[in-house]
Amino acid sequence: MRTPHRLLALIIVTLLYLPALLAAKPWTELTPLQQEALAPLVKNWDSLPEKRQQHLLKYVKHYQDLPPAKRKRMHDQLVAWSGLTPEQHRRAREKYKAFNQVPPEKREQVRQMVREREANKAASGVAPITPVR
Amino acid sequence: MNHELDTKQIRQHLNRSAAQLDQPTVEKLREARMQALSRHHARSTAPAFAWASALAGSGHTAGSHRSHYHWAAIILFAACLFSGITYWQGTQDNDDSDVDIAILTDEMPIDVYVD
Repeated sequence: MRTPHRLLALIIVTLLYLPALLAAKPWTELTPLQQEALAPLVKNWDSLPEKRQQHLLKYVKHYQDLPPAKRKRMHDQLVAWSGLTPEQHRRAREKYKAFNQVPPEKREQVRQMVREREANKAASGVAPITPVR
Repeated sequence: MNHELDTKQIRQHLNRSAAQLDQPTVEKLREARMQALSRHHARSTAPAFAWASALAGSGHTAGSHRSHYHWAAIILFAACLFSGITYWQGTQDNDDSDVDIAILTDEMPIDVYVD
């Protein structure tokens, strides 16, 4: 094969391989930090869609800046969160942003209501939510 | 029979015959030779992208060089386009990770924000 052929073939193969960089990564190929940040997802990671995996991997850069209590809180909620649909994620983000626009005293009232609800759950045998600071 | 002698004799005959040809015939022969040489040159010097030529269905004509490069350029462009579009689609996921982390680490359980 002549050099121009080889060069052209190399360029084309490289270009076609580029999208594969976005392909799904098996759990075993994640870095130790990625595995720690996404530890609750170890069982179902390999079955997650590529796009979901790519999105979840973006959490890692935030995870390393979190204090231990918030890391634990993230882990507690991560499985349930990753099980939601993209549409549910979108709506949850909207609600969260809207909730943070509410005056602090109103927000605290809602938080208090949720705490009471969680306390009732705890009383009936469901693990309570501990405040995260 | 001496083969080398025969070849010499043939050459002499051809030379004698060529000397007897009229001018228009000589001119036609010269043109035919030039065409044959140019075809030979095209075939031997740059069959790079010959496979592209095969795709195009064109043989090694005088303009086959240009055809080769056209096809190479088209294939390269198609590869760039495919690669670019696929990569772009893959990265179109808006980075909402900061909001997601805020939700995940919030005191409120996520079911509060989910319908």
